[in-house]
Parts: sequence; structure tokens; C-alpha cells
Amino acid sequence: MKNKSIKLVASLILMFVVSCDDPVTVVTNYVHPDGSVTRKIEVTSKKKSFKNSNLQVPFDSTWTITDSWAIASNGDTSWIRKAVKLFKNIDEINLSYKRDSGANREISRQTAFRKRFKWFNTEYRFSEMIDKTMSYGYPIENFLSKDELVFLHSPDSIIINKQLGSDSLKYKAFSDTISRKTDKWMGKSMVSEWIGEFSKLTAGKTGNELNIKSLKAREDEFGKIIEKNDKKLDSLWKNGILLKELIGEANALKYKIEADSAASLVSSKILLDFKEYSVRIVMPGKLIGTNGFIDSSHALLWPVKSEYFLTEPYEMWAESRIPNLWAWIVSGVFLIFVLTGVLIKVIKKG
Amino acid sequence: MEPENEKYRRVLNILRNSKPELGSTYNIENEVFKRISKVKQPKINLSDLIDFLFGWVYIGWVRRSLITASILLVLVFVYQQSVILKRIDALGRQTVVNERANIPESADEIEKLLMVYRYSGRRFPSKTITISERQINELIKSINELQVKYKDLENLLKGDPELKELIEKKLIENNSTKTSL
Repeated sequence: MKNKSIKLVASLILMFVVSCDDPVTVVTNYVHPDGSVTRKIEVTSKKKSFKNSNLQVPFDSTWTITDSWAIASNGDTSWIRKAVKLFKNIDEINLSYKRDSGANREISRQTAFRKRFKWFNTEYRFSEMIDKTMSYGYPIENFLSKDELVFLHSPDSIIINKQLGSDSLKYKAFSDTISRKTDKWMGKSMVSEWIGEFSKLTAGKTGNELNIKSLKAREDEFGKIIEKNDKKLDSLWKNGILLKELIGEANALKYKIEADSAASLVSSKILLDFKEYSVRIVMPGKLIGTNGFIDSSHALLWPVKSEYFLTEPYEMWAESRIPNLWAWIVSGVFLIFVLTGVLIKVIKKG
Repeated sequence: MEPENEKYRRVLNILRNSKPELGSTYNIENEVFKRISKVKQPKINLSDLIDFLFGWVYIGWVRRSLITASILLVLVFVYQQSVILKRIDALGRQTVVNERANIPESADEIEKLLMVYRYSGRRFPSKTITISERQINELIKSINELQVKYKDLENLLKGDPELKELIEKKLIENNSTKTSL
């Protein structure tokens, strides 16, 4: 499916997301066993000024901030700002996200920490989650296989290395397949979102036969109409021709304002003002599970891009464990004690 | 009655005046101490201790409960460890990113790495070592020298804001020239 409107949306997203002047930001969470978290934000920019409105992750004057600069091998100067702060618990981090006035203030982010005592070990779980932006979209898992999902969520360096490596043709084809499938996912989600928003706006209006059920039943039909008219989609929508075809002439005239509002809501959700960044997590003890990538410094790494949390929340999680040495000793002594008792009984009986 | 009382008094007087002569008070003392010490330090009997510690083995329900608890403990341990090992094994197959998120290493990171290297007995994992000990020492020496020079320069710039501004300006100019090229 080659949907030009989707391509346009995708290129617009790219335009919003990828900008050479955007600072490269990496947030590292050093999780401590007591639930406190030392957060380190490293921002590298080609400009010396670090405007708060341009920053992906919030930090303020309460952080320990150090500025430095580095000159790359090609002579380019990068300005580096490092901010470090110890948060007593995740509530403090969540509060800072709520008060965020930076570049990604429109998205809802939160962290979670869980500590579980399991006698021999204590297990820790830390996660950073970004809420989904669309309410009626389809999960991307329905469209991509497990391998394709991993590839889609990979850091850019992995994708580039694979596409330039010895299996470049294979990965090029793989990437094209993913692109085709994500186009389909995006298209279906857009239609579903429009139906959801439009139903919400027209709900309760007298003589309305367009409830969410009846519109949902025609979702595939809507998709095909849009696909058929993809070349002149914008003009058809503006003239109201497309809407007439979708919901009938009478309804199109009656609910023109609601339909336009729903379309504008959908585009605002897709064309989200978001600047991408990376999240790193360093867990206490030994790592036992994660959905992230392990980087060269043995920390966990996740790229954060807007398409990851369009229809499903994006959770970056890691689990680790610390053995309870005292529990191992107590258990060992107890086992020896019981075993000795049983042996004594057997010997005396014998 | 009086002669009998008189007799009794006389006998008492005789007994009072004829005290026994103690020939060896030392022996008596020793004997007394021995007996006292015997009472205070009861003899430690190993079989009594075992009976005290493991008396529960003769009480059926206690024995069964403790054995059940031990088996459960072993099962929990085996289950937990196998789950953890399985998860760690799965982690081993996970993709490793060879880059460190595009952030250039700054002086304090290099210092930390050097500190780790120093405290780890100047050893690198065998698979990654590609340079000699002498070269590493030279590298550390040159980094240290560079850091000293950098700090001197930093101090110099701190004391002279005009010079700092000039250098920053030059760096930006240099950068923009290279970009335009």
C-alpha cells in the first residue's frame, strides 16, 4: 500500500523529529537499592546556548550542572551540558516530568520502581513509561513480527551498521517490508482514530445514526476509499467530497464541523511536537531482564522516538537482583541442622 | 528434778570445753572447695547436648514439619535459580550496541576509566587487550599531562574573561568555516 498522505505525514514527522540543530540528549538513571535514583542528563549541542524549551528532558537549577566542550576529529565543536541530581524516589522524578516545560512537554512520562523480597534474592524493577498519544489506534504488534519489532526499536547505529554491513541487501529488503507494514498500521490507526474522535464529537446529537459501532463496521471500507483517492486526498477532503462518500451527503453537511475537528485532532496526535532522545538505565546488582539494548558500557539503552508511543504506551524496563547473603547462610545452617537431626535418628535407630 | 538439771548442765559444760582438735584444716578446706566446685560446674556431656539440640527428632510432628520446610526451601532455591539463569541466558543473546549513545567521552569519564583500570590491577579482559603494558603506561602519562595542561588553561581562562571570549569566538569561527567548506 502506497499511501501518499501517510508518506507525507511520515516525512512531516521526520521533519519535526530530525533536525540537525536538535541537541543530542541521553538520560541515565542510576537506580539504587533503596529506590532512590541518580539521574544524569548529558546534552550535546552544536550551539552554546541550552534553551529549556529546546531540551528533551527537564532539569533546572537544583541539579548539579557542568558545562564543557569537545572538538571532534573533523574540527567541529560540541557544547556539552551535564546535569546530575539524586532523586529520593520515583515520585520526585514524576513530579519533574509533570512540571516539564521543555520540548517534550506534550507527552506524558512517568517512572516506576518495584522492590521484591524473595528470600534468597531481592529483585528490583525500574521502568520509564511514555503514555500513548492516540486513543483508538491499533497496536503495532498486530502488524509486525517479533524480529521486525526489534529492528524498528533498535538504536540508529545498529540499523545503519546492518544496512551497510555484509547483509546489506537482506536488511534493505527487511527495512522496506517494515516500512510497508508500518504504513498500513499508520493508515488503519489514523482511520480508527478519526472514527473514535468523530463519534465522540457527534455523540448525543439528535437524529445521529453515526455511532462508533456503525462507523467501525465500515472502517475497512473507509480505508479503501482513502487509499483509492490518496493522490487528491487533501483537495477532496477540503471540498467535502470525501466526507460525503464516507458518511453520506446528508451527514456530511450536518457534521462537517465535527468531521474537520476530528481530522485536525488526529493530525495533531500524529504530528506530535517531539524531540527524540535516549534513555539509559543502570540497575543495582545483576541484570536479569530487560526490553532494552545493552551498550558498550554495559548500561541499558533505549532510543525514544515518537512512533514508538503512538498507539501503545512505550515502556522501557529493566530487572535486576541482589542475592541476600544472610538468607543463604541461614538457609544453609537450617538445612545442615535438619539433616544432622535426621541422620542422628537413623543412626540411633540402627 | 534439780539433780538431773545439774547433771545436764555439767555434761554440756564438759562437751563445750572438750572441742575436737582439727589436725589438718587445710585438707578440710580443700574438700569443701572441691565439693562446691563440683556443684557449680556440672560435667558437659556430649550426648546430653545432642539430646537437647536434636530432641525434636523424637517428636513426630516437629520432625515432619522441619523436613517439609527443608524440602520446600531447597525447591524454592532450585526454582528461583533456574528462572534467573534462564533469564540471564536470554539476556546473553540480546543485541549489544557498540556505541555509547553518541556522547563524547569527557575528561571526567576518562578519569573514571583510568581509575577503574588502576584499581583493577591494571588488567583488561584478555579478549580486548591489543596493546602492550608500556604503551598503556605511556597513554596514561600523556593523558595525565594533558589533563594538567587543560586545568592550567582552564584556570588561565577563568582569570581572564576576555581571553575566554576570544577563544570561544575563534572556535565558533573555525567551526563555521569548516561547515561552509
